[in-house]
Amino acid sequence: MKVTRRQFLKVTGATAAAMAVTDLGFNMNATASAIKELRIKNVTPTPTVCPYCASGCGLVVYAQKDSAGKFQKLLSVHGDPDNPINIGGACSKGAAMFNLREIYDPQTGEQIINPKRVQKPLYRAPGTDKWVEKDWDWMLDTIAERIKETRDSSFIHTEKLADGNDVIVNRTEKIASLGGSGLDNEECYLLSKMMRSLGLVYLETQARI
Amino acid sequence: MANLTNLYDVSKCTACRGCQIACKDWNQLPASIEPFKGNYQTHEDTDGDTFTIIKFFETEDPVTGVNWSFIKHQCMHCFEPACMMACPKGAYTKTETGATVHDPDKCIGCQYCTYACPFEIPKYRKREDKISKCTLCVDRTVEGLTPACARTCPTGALTFGDRDELLQKAEDRAKYLRENGYPNATIYGKLELGGLNKLYVLTDTPDKFGLPVDPHIPKNISAWQNVVQPYFGWLIPLMLGASAVSFVTTRLLANKHGGHGEHEEGGHE
Amino acid sequence: MTNHVVDLKNTDCALIMGSNAAENHPISMKWLIRARENRGAKIIHVDPRYTRTSARADLYAPLRSGTDIAFLGGMIKYIIDNELYHKDYVVNYTNAAYLVKDEYGFEDGLFSGYDQENRKYDVSSWDYKYGEDGLPLTDPTLQDPRCVFQLMKKHYERYDIDSVCKITGTPKNKYLEVLDMFCATGAPNKTGTIMYAMGITQHTVGSQNVRSFAVVQLLLGNMGRPGGGVNALRGENNVQGATDMALLFHIIPGYIDSPMNNAAHKDLISFVRSVTPGAAKLPFTNLEELRELVKEGFPNSGWKIHSSKWVVSLLKAWYGEAANAGNDYAYHYLPKRDEKKNYSHMQLFEAMHRGEIDGLFVNGTNPVVGGPNANKEQAALTKLKWMVSIDLWLNETADYWTHQAWDRPVENPNVAKYTPAEIGTEVFFLPAAAVYEKEGTAAQTGRWVQFRWKGADPVGESKSDLWIYNELGKRIKKIYAGSTRKEDEPIVNMTWDYDNEHGEDDIMKVALELCGFDVADGKPVEGFAKLKDDGSTACGNWVYCGAMTFKDGKTIYKPQLRKKDDPSGLGLYPEWGWAWPMNRRIVYNRCSVQPDGVTPWPGDEERQLVRWDPNAIADPTKPEVLGKWVGVDVPDFIGTTGPDKPAFTKPFIMRPEGHGCLFAAKTSMKDGPFPEHYEPWESPTANKMNSHNLNPATKVIEPDKQGDAEKYPIIGTTYRVSEHWQTGALTRNLPWLAELMPNMMVELSEELANEKGIKNGHDVIISTIRGDVKAVACVTKRFKPLVIHGKHVHEIGLLWQYGFKGFATGDIANWLTPHIGDANTMIPEYKAWLCDIRRA
Repeated sequence: MKVTRRQFLKVTGATAAAMAVTDLGFNMNATASAIKELRIKNVTPTPTVCPYCASGCGLVVYAQKDSAGKFQKLLSVHGDPDNPINIGGACSKGAAMFNLREIYDPQTGEQIINPKRVQKPLYRAPGTDKWVEKDWDWMLDTIAERIKETRDSSFIHTEKLADGNDVIVNRTEKIASLGGSGLDNEECYLLSKMMRSLGLVYLETQARI
Repeated sequence: MANLTNLYDVSKCTACRGCQIACKDWNQLPASIEPFKGNYQTHEDTDGDTFTIIKFFETEDPVTGVNWSFIKHQCMHCFEPACMMACPKGAYTKTETGATVHDPDKCIGCQYCTYACPFEIPKYRKREDKISKCTLCVDRTVEGLTPACARTCPTGALTFGDRDELLQKAEDRAKYLRENGYPNATIYGKLELGGLNKLYVLTDTPDKFGLPVDPHIPKNISAWQNVVQPYFGWLIPLMLGASAVSFVTTRLLANKHGGHGEHEEGGHE
Repeated sequence: MTNHVVDLKNTDCALIMGSNAAENHPISMKWLIRARENRGAKIIHVDPRYTRTSARADLYAPLRSGTDIAFLGGMIKYIIDNELYHKDYVVNYTNAAYLVKDEYGFEDGLFSGYDQENRKYDVSSWDYKYGEDGLPLTDPTLQDPRCVFQLMKKHYERYDIDSVCKITGTPKNKYLEVLDMFCATGAPNKTGTIMYAMGITQHTVGSQNVRSFAVVQLLLGNMGRPGGGVNALRGENNVQGATDMALLFHIIPGYIDSPMNNAAHKDLISFVRSVTPGAAKLPFTNLEELRELVKEGFPNSGWKIHSSKWVVSLLKAWYGEAANAGNDYAYHYLPKRDEKKNYSHMQLFEAMHRGEIDGLFVNGTNPVVGGPNANKEQAALTKLKWMVSIDLWLNETADYWTHQAWDRPVENPNVAKYTPAEIGTEVFFLPAAAVYEKEGTAAQTGRWVQFRWKGADPVGESKSDLWIYNELGKRIKKIYAGSTRKEDEPIVNMTWDYDNEHGEDDIMKVALELCGFDVADGKPVEGFAKLKDDGSTACGNWVYCGAMTFKDGKTIYKPQLRKKDDPSGLGLYPEWGWAWPMNRRIVYNRCSVQPDGVTPWPGDEERQLVRWDPNAIADPTKPEVLGKWVGVDVPDFIGTTGPDKPAFTKPFIMRPEGHGCLFAAKTSMKDGPFPEHYEPWESPTANKMNSHNLNPATKVIEPDKQGDAEKYPIIGTTYRVSEHWQTGALTRNLPWLAELMPNMMVELSEELANEKGIKNGHDVIISTIRGDVKAVACVTKRFKPLVIHGKHVHEIGLLWQYGFKGFATGDIANWLTPHIGDANTMIPEYKAWLCDIRRA
């Protein structure tokens, strides 16, 4: 259909006016306020892939940006019509991708950031019953220290084999890592490399469960 | 212009409810969370923030066994819409492609349309004190896009296009289904209420899917709209013998005196 | 999946078993419905419960949870008895004709070599008879009583239709309909697909369930052909990729066994010998000598003959210049696990529960909801000194120490309870960016690797996981910098250079290392056939080698390709993203053509994927050498293997035999070369197929936590719905999905509800020996009592997707499930256990 909004409304208005007299006996006007402006007009969507079931359906993200190209807010997220797996389709989960970041407030109808998203690193000290906000540097440095403490105090460098020879085993059994099936390949790769180089053997992902 | 509509084929729907959410995404609707009551169909009906739902029907037949059928429920965009006939403020209009659209700027929240609609579609949205309902995504379709629900349907149960073409497709499909294990397969929306701008292929009779077999507009409404509404629209609620009378009347009169009422002059742009 | 999602449109019949495809992989139904419209395909659904998948199937047949092998064993017998197998395929492409050692035997549920005390098998008798050339002996007439075909026929003699239906509870007429409908795909011009998910794998016989599929599909000639295959519908968007990257204890990237503390893995050359099939007894003492042998080829090796190249290239990628010929390419840096220990999920939590683990990384996962016996796994977390949780939300695991996390619907002295004050774990929560707030690739269930571009900024201070790991890696390296301790060498020498010129993480740098590069010039390696074991190539994962290419002065990351052409019309889309291995869209595709390599299967010209072209030039530098495999798909075959080579009719290149295994020889399986029916650990009935109730090779972790049928007579199972994903950590935090499935529920039959006085919508309590769960009752016609050995048995189903966080909440179903798993993989038996139900 190659009809602009203006043309369409014009035609509609004219016909409706005629019909109002001759046919139904009441006014038929598709008013401008009844038909909203297409809010993704001239917005270039960004393709991504659904993070759920592994079918690999493509999705497109429509976002509002300011004149400098800086991201402002989401407009809509829906199925990618170019992706041959889903050709634009999206089930309830895929269609709800907008909510992963933003929601419409049920009280006001306003578009807000999903209030469940955590926006700052959080720390819970032993024995306490609350989270405390911390900055990234403190968090990452402290985690690196904990890793070192635990690894170094539990590290097994060599073991004796049944034949009496020593073999280097370079492992710690005191640190474990779970998960990764929700990560991207490149992230999984870094995780695998980092954990194995630290000597972890308790390394598991959701594939096992 | 031709009527543009959705064709919904129950035999292809898996009730994934993508349409229900895509509608919310596009129409910017908040969730309305209610507790689970023992049915997958968590919304008993559409509401002010839910324009479409999938209804679930679980049945059992001694020969064919258990059956679970699904049907998408939303505005039927009737050729002769009762809501439009009933609205005292002319908030409802038809587009040339057959969508029944509701203009919130004109709506006074009187809710008379909610009593008139044979499919009980228009719903009151308390937050804004207005009615809301499915628009057949006219903001998308005027730009050549498909409505959000049809666009997201993974299985192709829901398609969008020229009504005449889809009607032919629907007839063919129903015939195929009748010959292939669904002797009662039929279509819906072709003739009901003088024609609906929504078409269905059903694997069984409409009553099995909660659709009114012979929907009709309350007689008083169709009579009134010809005579009364053009001249004395605000009188309609007074003539309605329903419990909502005083509420509706109050609304209407308050609005009238409040001076918000627009006269139905139309002709925007 | 051996095939892929779009390929479902090419099938003539789909058997969906142990999967609720319409709800959990909705898009798969698009292609099945298309197959039905365009080809008249049939859809069969076999499941304990009638679901949204059943609603769209042509045929629905119920079965009791945990009886899939009985169901499929009966199918194998039916195929053999009625000669419905694809004879040419079976003789040429499977090991049906192989002769099996005389020592192999099977009696009353036990295969030869059983060690009762350790509940394990000595598998040495599960092997072929070999000729003097070192190759297995065969009888292509399939008549020799020791050939695989005859042994299999004998094995499944007991699986007659009546016996099967008494075990599975499937009405006989429905079972016959399934057999008839699916086995028709044994015709050479038909293909049938099998689609499965966790309903098959989450059993003490999970791996053998999948094996049964493989046997059926090999018999029917459905592997390696469009519309066929054994298709696992994987559950998480990149669980395939996470597995490829070896986030599992037993492998290193590229499906290579992870090193152990034994003599066979003591140094690089021993390790290479151990992971290269057919190399065990060959005379080589270093990589140079091995290289010569590989050049010649040796028997019983398959494509894994190249393992040394994958291992050395991995070590070069990880340890750079520190990995060289003089130090075994730093092989000793890799951690060696204790060969006597199992480090899988359940054992990990058992160890944690014993206080053996101090620190834990939780990378976008939620074991407090998703782990089996979740009461115990939650209690185990209290023993941690520190935990790092990376997620978008505070999920139930991140918040396990809160008061709310220990609320239970029933006071149960056997269930641990803690207060925050009693929990000494230091918890670090790192807020992660959502999928479209960052960029990267994911491998979907059909092995298509697709790129995701960034469409929005991360909320607040949240960061991509790539940024988090990159930063953490830098900091770890910093605190170890300058260490001269031997044990710190793997960290000190680990390459970690992923920043761009602005000091930000650069995903393309990671991708290049992952896909492989030439050490000399840093250019991508164009495919895994070009990887070397002399230190000249570095590649983090050989399976992804070829995904990055250098063309016309530009580096192309193929997962970013978005070309929508489908020249074959088979839905292969060769230039949409990239599929591993080497962009092969359907693996084992050599099977799509007859043994002569040229002729399509009769009546199936349109589904031929590859062919041998005797006149094509394989290598432009040697134009005199003619003959090459070509086709619409990338041949999953060595391109120059012509009719003069014995491997010409060996399509399963990853197998040492080169043939599909009806009989799983040697170490392939821990619990038998043929699938045999055993009951779940908790079952309402004794095993009537043999006298062993439980899979004899399954380890019992908690013998005192086995519920009995007297006290817990009802079968319980768990599953998901379309509207939520996995533990619900993502979806229960989304209002639009919360409104569709707002609370924890249990589905039960009208008959059981009547017996228990339960009405639809009632609150009910479900109990097992391990815990209690409250849920809303969904009384449905879609569950029916089954008749098992003449007795009525009830089964109920719970959603395992709820927890105490998010907009949609409810009790955690895994408080009920056991700590026991499959003999091979240790995947937990979530799908069949015993419980009782009552009104709350």
